[in-house]
Amino acid sequence: MEEEKEGLPPFVRSWRQLYGLVIANLILMIILFWWFTEAFS
Amino acid sequence: MSLFDWIVLAVTLTFIVGYGIYRSRREQNLESYLTGGHTLPWWQVCLSVMATQASAVTFLSGPGQAYTDGMRFVQFYFGLPLAMVVISMTFIPIFHRLNVYTAYEYLETRFDLRTRTLTAILFLVPRWLSTGISIYAPSIILSTIFGWDLVWTNIAMGGILLIYTVIGGSQAVSYTHVQQMFIVLGGMFLAGCLVVRLLPENMGFVDTLEVAGKMNKLQTINWKFDLNDRYNVWSGLIGGFFLQLSYFGTDQSQVGRYLGGETISQSRLGLLMNGIIKIPMQFLILLVGALVFVFYQFHEAPLVFNETALSKIENTSAYQDLQKNNTLIFEEKKQAVTQLQQALKQKNETQINTLQKRVLDLNQQSTELREKTQKLVKEKGGDANDTNYIFLTFVVKYLPKGVVGLLIAIIFIASMGSIASAINSLTSSFVVDIYRRMWVTQASEAHYVQVSKISTAIWGVLSIAVAMYASRVGSLLEAVNILGSLFYGTVLGVFVVAFYFKQIGAKATFWAAVIAEIGVVICWLLNLTAFLWLNVIGCLAVVAMGLFLETILGKNEVASR
Repeated sequence: MEEEKEGLPPFVRSWRQLYGLVIANLILMIILFWWFTEAFS
Repeated sequence: MSLFDWIVLAVTLTFIVGYGIYRSRREQNLESYLTGGHTLPWWQVCLSVMATQASAVTFLSGPGQAYTDGMRFVQFYFGLPLAMVVISMTFIPIFHRLNVYTAYEYLETRFDLRTRTLTAILFLVPRWLSTGISIYAPSIILSTIFGWDLVWTNIAMGGILLIYTVIGGSQAVSYTHVQQMFIVLGGMFLAGCLVVRLLPENMGFVDTLEVAGKMNKLQTINWKFDLNDRYNVWSGLIGGFFLQLSYFGTDQSQVGRYLGGETISQSRLGLLMNGIIKIPMQFLILLVGALVFVFYQFHEAPLVFNETALSKIENTSAYQDLQKNNTLIFEEKKQAVTQLQQALKQKNETQINTLQKRVLDLNQQSTELREKTQKLVKEKGGDANDTNYIFLTFVVKYLPKGVVGLLIAIIFIASMGSIASAINSLTSSFVVDIYRRMWVTQASEAHYVQVSKISTAIWGVLSIAVAMYASRVGSLLEAVNILGSLFYGTVLGVFVVAFYFKQIGAKATFWAAVIAEIGVVICWLLNLTAFLWLNVIGCLAVVAMGLFLETILGKNEVASR
């Protein structure tokens, strides 16, 4: 378990959290692009 | 190109090659030559996988695609972050734990030599061909625009990188990727800023976006599910996920990059950062294309951007009539766009709606003129698809001296980054999966390093040879992706079976892969679906056929043991 946490960035406590962050970022991107499409069409 | 442009180009390329050679001065063993010896921190892994994926085609086709088709292509990358998560969870720990040089090595441990060899061949052949296209694609464009000899441009494009790739192997490739990415991204950002500066004085960045948006060039999201539509949210998320999973999880040109990570954590972090950065980066590249589109609302665009194609028809009366009409429509459109921009500033909704309709109607008329001209070019045997020429034509014609040289250097550098990775991976797979496994199994470490160097040089020459014979391939970015989609799904299917379907044995997997690959090729030949879905079909077909065949062959396998 210790080895699992080694090398993690300081703002997350587990790899699972980091994976969640990457997916949340994707969702945010899609929302932003959708807003971008709507705002400039 | 001016003398100053040549100097900028020469200095940039010399710097990259020199740096690559400098980083290769240490003594090498097979592991360091093929994987970089597990020394790379996460940020280097990240930049290296990005440089491998972003070839010159990305920077030439991307803006051109936004110019002709808008920014919806960005949806193609929506599956990438999901793929990065799955690879970080599953693939990386297994590859690191087994300390493999290539992804296919693992398949022998899980299945047998036959399955390992099949997947290695399914990697080697298309990767070799697409590396040839990656050399040819920028070469044909540069040689057309500058009148350079295509043979020598191909040799320069594929040959310069061989100097440091042969000498330094994977380590030199990864280290030069870092410099390459900084130069490439900096150059593209500069090009974007310069486009805005070249627009009429009263037009700022937001005004430009508003005009581009009203002309339907900023539509990045399409929620409608349509199997035959190449780019929508669903094809990007599902089809893109399978394509990126296959590319990053099973294509040695990428596996080799993150296997160079110092630890499992560093490899994972590098890939996850790629999952965060890649989509915004692609968005910005496409945005440059949308800005170039607005620029051409104020400067008359040629009917065809490929001058060689244009030379085939420019003396015909049909073309001259089209050109006259184009000028008339351009003048009218320029006036309407200027009025639209003023109405946008005044926020006059009624006027905006009326002018938007007018501008879109005029734009449709110029698109039709372009299509008629392309048809004319096709009839004369020319290359009608000019998507890849749009951005570079703009660069050469309108950007200042020095910047042109820098952007040409970027095309070379971007090519070098992805081609060097590809050639290094072809060598890894050939030497580890075929030469050392089946031909010369008991030689010294020095012998394999020497063979790897020779193999790198040979794959380089073979790829240049493909580039010499590559014919017209339409949108080059799509051609590379279609070629990948034909094989990636099947290879991914084999890995999915290996990781998640422990009950399926070697024999069932091998034949499932063969049948699935035939099925994918048939789907493509009959044009049954958009290419991104071929990845899904290939992968699911291997799993389904594997489960089915296991019920038949599995029993025989157990009985014969």
